Formats: sequence, structure tokens, C-alpha cells
Amino acid sequence: MRKRARLPGAIAIGLILVFVLAACGSSSSNNSTSSSGGAASTGAAKQGGTIKIGTVGPDSYDPQEYQTVQADSAMHLVYEGLLAFKDATGQASTELVPALADAIPTPTNGGKTYVFHIRSGLHYSDGEPVEASDVVNMVKRNLFLGGPFSSFFNDIVGATKYAAAKKTGAPLTGMIADDKTGKLTIHLMTPDTRVLYAFAIGESGVGPKSKAVFKNMTGHPFPGDGPYTLKVVSPSPTNGEFILTKNPKFDIPTIAKGNVNQIDGMVSTNVNTMTENVINGTLDYMTEDPVGDLLPQVEAKYKDRFLIGPGYPNTYYFFMNSTLAPFNKLAAREAVNYAIDSRALERIFGGRLHPTCNLLPPGMVGYTPITPCPWGDPNGPGNIAKAQALVKSAGLTGSPVTVWTNTKDPRPAIADYLRSTLDQIGFKASTKTVNQTVYFSTIGDPKTKAQIGFDDWFQDFPHPGDFMGNLLTTAAAKSLPSFNSGFVSNPYIDSQVNKLDAQPAASVASGWAALDKYVNDPQHAYVVPYGNEEDTAFYSTRMNVSQCSGYPNLAHRVDWSLLCLK
Amino acid sequence: MATEPAPVASTEGTGFEAVAEREHAVGVGPWKLAGRRLRRNKVALGFLVLFVLLVALALAAPIWAHDVAHTDPDANHLTESLREGKGSVNVVAFSGIPIGPQWFKAGGKFLLGADGNGRDIMVRLLYGARTSLEIGVSAALITTILAVIVALLAGYLGGIVDTILTRAMDIVWAFPVVILGVALGTALSIGGLSLGPITIQSGSLAIPILIIGCVYVPYIARPLRGQILSLREKEFIEAARAQGMGSVRIMFSEILPNLASTIVVFFPLSIANAILLEAYLSFLGAGVQAPTPSWGEMISEGINRITTAPHLTIVPGVMLILTVLSLNIFGDGVRDALDPRAKVRMEL
Repeated sequence: MRKRARLPGAIAIGLILVFVLAACGSSSSNNSTSSSGGAASTGAAKQGGTIKIGTVGPDSYDPQEYQTVQADSAMHLVYEGLLAFKDATGQASTELVPALADAIPTPTNGGKTYVFHIRSGLHYSDGEPVEASDVVNMVKRNLFLGGPFSSFFNDIVGATKYAAAKKTGAPLTGMIADDKTGKLTIHLMTPDTRVLYAFAIGESGVGPKSKAVFKNMTGHPFPGDGPYTLKVVSPSPTNGEFILTKNPKFDIPTIAKGNVNQIDGMVSTNVNTMTENVINGTLDYMTEDPVGDLLPQVEAKYKDRFLIGPGYPNTYYFFMNSTLAPFNKLAAREAVNYAIDSRALERIFGGRLHPTCNLLPPGMVGYTPITPCPWGDPNGPGNIAKAQALVKSAGLTGSPVTVWTNTKDPRPAIADYLRSTLDQIGFKASTKTVNQTVYFSTIGDPKTKAQIGFDDWFQDFPHPGDFMGNLLTTAAAKSLPSFNSGFVSNPYIDSQVNKLDAQPAASVASGWAALDKYVNDPQHAYVVPYGNEEDTAFYSTRMNVSQCSGYPNLAHRVDWSLLCLK
Repeated sequence: MATEPAPVASTEGTGFEAVAEREHAVGVGPWKLAGRRLRRNKVALGFLVLFVLLVALALAAPIWAHDVAHTDPDANHLTESLREGKGSVNVVAFSGIPIGPQWFKAGGKFLLGADGNGRDIMVRLLYGARTSLEIGVSAALITTILAVIVALLAGYLGGIVDTILTRAMDIVWAFPVVILGVALGTALSIGGLSLGPITIQSGSLAIPILIIGCVYVPYIARPLRGQILSLREKEFIEAARAQGMGSVRIMFSEILPNLASTIVVFFPLSIANAILLEAYLSFLGAGVQAPTPSWGEMISEGINRITTAPHLTIVPGVMLILTVLSLNIFGDGVRDALDPRAKVRMEL
């Protein structure tokens, strides 16, 4: 499960184009790493057939409401936005391509104005034409519903005022749509190099404004404009089913049309059963990693249809609520950082975790290993004695602490390790386990008053601001639910994120690296990053894994539109 | 899932009657008589001894933990290793597979191996026994007390009171016990329970105790009510009424003593059922909350590693079987001793 990014404060446009061009430029050089070339590659792959995919399930069927990668994998095939990530594998999958828009615009007005043109002749699956005003409706929905992605659009002129008005018909002055010409003009208050990515992620998927009304539509998903249509057979989170079938009205040349005719999503919480069903061919692919005994078994026996690798950049960490005792004290946060032994957590992950000292993951622009790590070697033991001394000197011995986690394996075990460690250094710890589908929205609500617990972040798009802006800024802390689970509010971090976001990430990589070091140095210690996880993809014997695995896709983990049968 | 027990104390077979008459003839009291019969039932006594042993083991948990295993039930030992000959072996391998039973190779540490978090299985097993017994006995007490009250009110007062209470029990009965328990356990596991001035924190053992105690009430109340319906028509009750005794006094001083043997029979069986339900609920994540050790939770945690570390599920599973079996067989022995003619069964 991943949480998706939000757009932070100030933005600088001028460099967006440079960044995009840089990404496009790198695509050609990275073609050799792609096992599938997206739309172009589908011609070589076998077409047709039905496949079944096992998943713990989308957390919502409303494109503006979902948060998880499981939802994103399915929903990005149903709803397209102005832009999209290239349907490809490897580094090429982070490239932006125009989707509803006919081109990626060059910003003007000092990086504060974007002009898009909607392709002509596009239709939703119900036959309604796609219009520029539908994009405005999508942004308004985000702002009105106030979900975790609403702040993506806060820098559009008038967005904050629109959200505050709480009226669906209130004006959004920064977006001007002309349905006759298909022209869409977007004015930002400040430049931001991430804004194009915000219009490319799955949560910016568009629906017809007559049907994409201003309420949570997870029970009755509205028609989409993507290569597949969605039918929710059963919304049950434990035994549900949804069906994706090819959309005959889909016609966007830059987006893969999909190889298989139908994808049945089989929702279950039992990852072991899911794995066994892939082994015996009842399922053709699963969105989860095999766990426990089944992981080494699958790795050893089914090498030809099991893929494992770094996948898309991610960081696993513990959040600490800096507004609540005892973690409102620096000594408490330092103590946890000193005490954590990543080697222990590596074992809980079955060896699929690589210890780290950074919040930014390897492969991300600005990632520079923090050497020496202020808390000790990430591959070495924790410093329990120092942690105990810190807790004692701060007068926190015996302080009650609740460790939050969710039900997805191995997260209860991760939390139990943290609880045991907290007990060891002098706190009086207990655990609270919440269902995985509501966990992040629960800890992201300040009313929950979660003190410390499990957290992770997977890249939404290749930009360090996706991590720093969403996880540690004051703006992030104010959204509901917040991805800034520790409710960190530090003016220096805010100003640095705003400053760095305004420039192409590659040109200020050292600035991002410095900020990465700052957020977890002994003077701040806001989070406890402990590792980067390898991810997996497991297929049935029916699937053509060598030609169209769809893995690794750095935007959607596995691109289902690239999957094909033998 | 459940069927109502047959009415108590139906007479059948002249052999039993003859034995009873002979024993009554020598002037022995019913409880003493039951004790004699129980002593003759070697199988029941054997399982009683087994149960007492299990209780003793549970009571000895802290001694084992601190003096032999030198650890706590919740302490993680993920990165530690044990000396084995000239080398050493990791408590949890890099691949995440925990160490198996060490017996006494490490001086009693990890006697039955470790779990995925490097916790000592033996220590958790013993503390799990305490949890199971605490929940089992407490829940059985709650069930019994509530069931007796409900049965007395419904059976003796009759009329509208009987109708309301019986229908309420029917509603609870209509839900399969496990599903009802999981639903309640899940609902209460996050926010805890708040009833007026009474607040129970989530994660407290009181929550599974209350849930289990309540869901089994109809299974005991209904057979007791049936027995009371028969008792209230007896001459001694009429005599009590004639003497001016009130309903409450009749219920508690005249009827309740006559239910004692049935209650005594039901109690160990209730404990066994409560322990079993606690294991179900904990297995499904709706019972005892981590890190408190519980056999059901241990089985649940071990399921993912059943091929590489089968001891994680087998050991708590065996303990669960032994405990429930000992209580059930001893309970049957008590029933046979108290009333050899009785057909009382609490089938769940």
C-alpha cells in the first residue's frame, strides 16, 4: 500500500519544461531497460483473453478518493487525466506523456500559466464527449471533497477560496475552460515544478461533469475515459470483485490500449491464499508480495514467473507525532532513532529490506547516502544504552506510548519490534492494530492522536518533493487526513521545500540532499527511516512474463495494460 | 452450531435407579455420593490431574521466564544468536525463519523455539495459558451468573417476562457464536467499551471476557429455564408460596439450590468453550490484542510459517487441545457423578 503525493506550497514553473524535457531525453537512453514499450509494444503481444488478478483491493472506486497503489493499478486504466505516465517498464515509466491534452504545455508567465488543449473527438465510455470543463470539475471535486489529494491543487489561483466556500457552484478563478475550442488555461499563484505530475497521477482522472458529482462515488463509479471500463461486482473489502473490460470508445494514441479484453479483480485479504491461487493458476497475477514460507518457496520453484527487484522507490519509516508527548521532545525522537536496529527489521521483511538512514530513497534525485549516519551504521546494531540514557535524562522513563500499525503482514510484526524496543529503552509501550484499509486515514487525523507507528511512502512521481513536501511540511500537516503523520511543522523545511520545488529537481539535487539530512539530523530527528523494500511480481503459467510482465513500472508497480497471455 | 440440551433429570433404566436407591439407603448425602462416583471414574480424574498440571504450568510462567529462559513473553530477540557447539545460530535467520526447538541445548532458552519476532515460544506458551485460563474462568463465571439470573426470571415469573427474555435469547442464539464474537470483538478492539461510568480500554482482556461471557448465555440459560419450569410446579414451591415467601426469595432459596448440580456440570464445560472461542477470536484478530500472548494468536502468527517452522502452530495447538479435552472429559465425569441418569448436554 502506498500513499499518494500532494502538491505543497510555492512553486516555480520555469523549470518544469526543462525537467520534462530531461525526462523525455532520458527515455530514449533507457529504452534498453524496458521489457515492454507501452503502446507500441502491445502490437507484438498476444491480444485478447481474460485474466484474473488477486488484490487486497482498492480502498475506493472514486478516482478522487483512493490512496493505495492497489487502487491506482486498476483505476488509472479507467480514468485518464490531462497527462499520464508512459505505459512502459523501467525508467521509461516515469516519463510524462500527453493524455487528454494534445501536448505537454510549456509554461508561460514566469512559470505560472499553463495552457492545455483537449484532444478533439474524445468520448467517455457512455458516449459523452470529453470537455475541458470536465477537468475543472475534477479539480473542484478534489477541493470540495477535501480528500488527501486536494492540496495538489492548492496553488491554483482561487483554489483555497473555492475550498473554503464549500459551494459546488462557486467559481475557481484560476482555471478557465473553453469547451468549444477545448482550451484550458490554468493560472498558478507561484511556480511549481511538480504541477504537471499532479495532472498525471491517477487521482487526477476525469469523468463527465454531469455524472462526476460532488460526493464520494465509490459505490457508483462514474464513466471513465481510459482504455478499460469499470464494473464493481461486489465492493466487499474481504471478498469483493470488480471487472475491467476494454472501452470500445477509447482512442488516445499515447496511452496503451491494453492487451487483454477483460481483467477480473478478485479482492481478498488473505495473501497466502492469493499466492496459492497464482501457483495453481486460479489467479494470473497478484498485487501483493508473497509472505512467510511462501516467499522462499515461490522464489525457488517459480523463477520463470516470479520477478523481484528494487521496484519503484520507497522508504519505510516510523512516524513520531511531534505535537504529542513524549515525541514533542527531541530527546525522545533521538532515542528511537538510536535504538532502532534495521537488521532486525530486515529479518521481519524476510531479507527484502535494505537498511537506510535517508528518507529519500535510492534512485531519487537528491538521494545521497548520509555517511556517517548520525544514529550509527544502518547495517549495525542500535545503540540501546544511549537511547536509554536519553529517555532517562529527559525524564520520560515509564511514559506510556502506543505504537500504531495495520493488519497487513508483516506490519503487526514491525510494530511489535518497535514496541519491544521502546520498552527496552524505558517507555511503557503498547500496540494498536487497525484495519489496513483505514489505517492511513486514521493516523492522518490529528483527532486520533497517534503517537508513533508504522509508515511508508512509495514514489508517486520522480521528484524528491513528492517525499519531503507530502511527509514533512506544515501545509501537509493541515490537510485531512494528512500524510504528515507526525504533524511536523518547521518553517525551515517549509521554506526549503518551496524554494527547491520552484526549480528543476536535478538542478538543486544538492539542496534536496541537504534537506534529507536536515530532517533526520540529531537536532530534529523527525522520522525514523529504516529501509527500502524490494517488491515482487508473481504470475500464473498462462501469462507471458518474458514479453509483457508490466514490471517494474515506477508509477503503478505493474502496468496492467501491458499484461498479456501466452 | 448449537442445539438445546435435553431436559435435565429424565429417568431411564432401572439399573441406575437401583444403584441410587441402594446408596440412598445407607444415608449418604448427594454431594458425597457424587464424590464417590467421581473417584471411581479414573478417566475423568486423569484429565483433572492433567488440567491441574496445566494450571500449575500457567502459574509457573514467571518463574520459567525469569529464571530459566531469562526473557519476557513480549521481548523481541530478532538479531540475537545462540551458541551451538563451536559456532552460533541466529534466533531469527536473515530470511526471517525463526529457530526451532532447542530443548535444553541453550539452558532452557528457546526450549520450544522462537517465533518470527524472536520471542521465546515456551515463555509465550505459558503466559498464553494464563491468558486462556483467565479468560476462560472469568467468561464462564459471567455466563453462568447471567444465565442463572435470566433463567430464574424467565422460568419462574413466566408470562411477558419469559416471552421477552426467551425471544432475546433466541436472537442471540440465531447468530453463530464465532461470527457474533468476531463482530463484537472487531467493533470493540479499536475504541474500547464505554457504558456510562464504565470504560474499558481497547486491548484490555476484559473485552474478550465480556464478549465470550455474553454470547454463551442462551446456551446455559435455556436448559436451566426448562428445569425451572418443571421445578416451579413442584409441591415444595407451592408450600413456600403458601407460607408467604416472595418470588425473589423462592427463586434464590428454593429453586437455585436445586439447579446447583446442573450449574456445576455446566461450569467446566463453559470454561472449555470459552477457551476455545477465545482461541477462535484471537486467531481471527478479534480477541486478545497483541502483544498479550494467547494460544489463538500464536497459532495465527505461525500459520504463515507452517512449513518451515511448524512448531509455531503445533505447540499452542496441542496445548489448546489438551486443555479443552481435559475440561470436557472432567466435565462429563462430573455430570455422570452428580446425576448418572441425567442427559444434560451443552452441545456447542
